[in-house]
Amino acid sequence: MIELLHDQLFFSFPGIHPDASLTIQFQRTLRIPDDDRDYPLPPGLGCFPLRHVDDFGARVPEAWIEHGGILLPMYQSEAMWLNFDTGYCDDRGVSYPIAIKIATGKINAITGLPWSGGLHKHPQNYAVAPEQPWLDGYCVEKGVIRQFVAMPLGAGYTAEEQLTGAAEHGGIQISAFPMKREVFERRFPKIDRSISQLRRMSLDDTMAVSEPTARDSMGLAPGGRMKQEIYEDPYDLSDWDTKSGARCFVHITNSLIWRQITGEYPPTVPPTSAEYARYGLPWFDYYEDRLSALRGSNKLKKLKSVAALGKEKNDVPLPENQSVSPEKIIVLRKGLKKNQVRELAD
Amino acid sequence: MRQTFGSYIRKVRDDRRLESSEFSVRKIASRIGVEPSYLSKVERDEVAPPSEATIVRLAVALGEDPDLLLAMAGKVSSDLRAVILKRPKLFADLIRQLKNAPDHAVLRIAREVRDGRW
Repeated sequence: MIELLHDQLFFSFPGIHPDASLTIQFQRTLRIPDDDRDYPLPPGLGCFPLRHVDDFGARVPEAWIEHGGILLPMYQSEAMWLNFDTGYCDDRGVSYPIAIKIATGKINAITGLPWSGGLHKHPQNYAVAPEQPWLDGYCVEKGVIRQFVAMPLGAGYTAEEQLTGAAEHGGIQISAFPMKREVFERRFPKIDRSISQLRRMSLDDTMAVSEPTARDSMGLAPGGRMKQEIYEDPYDLSDWDTKSGARCFVHITNSLIWRQITGEYPPTVPPTSAEYARYGLPWFDYYEDRLSALRGSNKLKKLKSVAALGKEKNDVPLPENQSVSPEKIIVLRKGLKKNQVRELAD
Repeated sequence: MRQTFGSYIRKVRDDRRLESSEFSVRKIASRIGVEPSYLSKVERDEVAPPSEATIVRLAVALGEDPDLLLAMAGKVSSDLRAVILKRPKLFADLIRQLKNAPDHAVLRIAREVRDGRW
């Protein structure tokens, strides 16, 4: 079952376990410079608004109604990252593990392969939460991603267009699979309440008029390089309940027509990286030494960044792309305090 | 005896305080933009519950559900009120029909995100 709760996508699997749930936030953020330097993690600037596609049937392309799902607004060349939060099982002192598959334009963001059903380990086509708290882009190398940057579908910049030559799907596709209940209960036995509290405390401490058309659809393209590890699944492939998965198509519409569709104003334009750095605001790094990072996808590594492709096209797709030197970097260790992740202000 | 708004806030904050000093009266008051003395009075039910905006900030600071705290304060969030006022007959009928329904029946009509063909 998938619901929209306060601009968050909430997956729940009550038939599996009451705590088997996943909340995904689509976070607004800075677009890091696309200059082939490796940047730390930018901050979260709040959630993109999310709406049911079905609520705007006459105002969105027909294909969107066929896909179902939700829609959100992004400006051209705006960036985003995904925040994952899984349900906490108090009597076992752990968060319920959920395997998450993410694709953009039906291209898997971890493997670069076309969207397919199920989970695979060779190559691993999913991330595991809570171990993977965030995903900021395409996994291009071990420890390096290229930031998710919104570009108009049809302009040739998206990962989908670069890899398939077609501008067909756009948006983001998400599937979530809970761990099998019997596996969860075996791996994470019940613990004494006082120990459960201690374990949680210790974790906490360590750490938006013409009719909109398909032309107004956006896709995600590879932007600047960022230091972020995508972790190997620490569990067995057979631990996942692949028969109980849930999936959602997230359509991206240009913020400039968000109001035509929904009647609501889109969020404001986020600050540039240069503006952000000028004020000495924090960037982030995440540290988890118990898990191995995936090597990265050769297919995704070969993608051209928005800036590089723009140069080839004699186009200026990024209005501002000045290199910056982040000075204040906050290192976050595994076990973030709830609701205190990568926020600009406490 | 029915739990009051103030006593509920105090209990939740005290529970969190056992885990972290971030939940002292002073720190929570600072985070939600009120004086510590005012928050203490709220917790002792010596003053009426604060404004909707303050209650929502308090809910966020304590990790509680804003709608639950607003209801305990005898309030309905302004966005919900606006929803009802936009289509009063429809929502009044709906709410009356659901008033005696068990939780699981209400949850069944909670809106799911529809998946289509792609």
